[in-house]
Amino acid sequence: MNFREALHAELAARRRRNARYSLRAFARFLGTDHSTLSQILRSRRSLSAHMVARFGRRLGLSAAFVAEACQQQIAESVLRLARTKSFRPNSRWIATRTGLPLDSVNSALDHLIRHGDLVMESPERWTTTRPAYA
Amino acid sequence: MPNPVVRWQILSPTPDKVAGFYQKLFDWKLSQANALGYRELTSGDKAGADGGVWPAPPGVNGFVQLFVEVPDVDAAITKALSLGGKVLVPKSVLPDGDTMAVLHDPTGISFGVCALKKRA
Repeated sequence: MNFREALHAELAARRRRNARYSLRAFARFLGTDHSTLSQILRSRRSLSAHMVARFGRRLGLSAAFVAEACQQQIAESVLRLARTKSFRPNSRWIATRTGLPLDSVNSALDHLIRHGDLVMESPERWTTTRPAYA
Repeated sequence: MPNPVVRWQILSPTPDKVAGFYQKLFDWKLSQANALGYRELTSGDKAGADGGVWPAPPGVNGFVQLFVEVPDVDAAITKALSLGGKVLVPKSVLPDGDTMAVLHDPTGISFGVCALKKRA
């Protein structure tokens, strides 16, 4: 289950307990506004690692699940950048462009390569094998 | 071909702390002047292998990997698979031109195979 699915599951569970439980109430609980949450749930807006960490804390999710979900979101950010024409196969360049710490970029690269989502074909060419999730 | 162990790598949740510790303990040179910002630790001596520090995946404690230089990374992967090994990190060509892959032996211990780019 990814983090977006975890949000859907939590909202559904709350609605099973209280049929009148609203998206607005869930957004308030998570500390965000309902339009942002609505866009996230409909995959119209990407989740930042910061959002994952904040929502994860509010929901009391396990630290391991939240850490993995944060890395997943960072990996998606790197993947999105890797699919642009201006992309440079260089961790420092990626860190500068995304505003992420260098170690987070490298962990994300490790994650993407392990999962076969990014291939380091040569020193000048890193290719992606799928689009980034929203 | 003797397939020597040529590199070691520490994967750590606190890479700066670990790299700084070994750099100070053994007076090794620590450098991140490369495209990955990889923390390279070198002794400056021809004897022994140099190494480096890389961030560990989330939730994983620190551990050490050894890298074995092989003439052909693809062939080494194929042979490892035939012996019950698994691929953890597929073959990758690093920005410095070295080629590497990380594998699991049949007991789950990870190690790397690499083909180092010839340097002047």
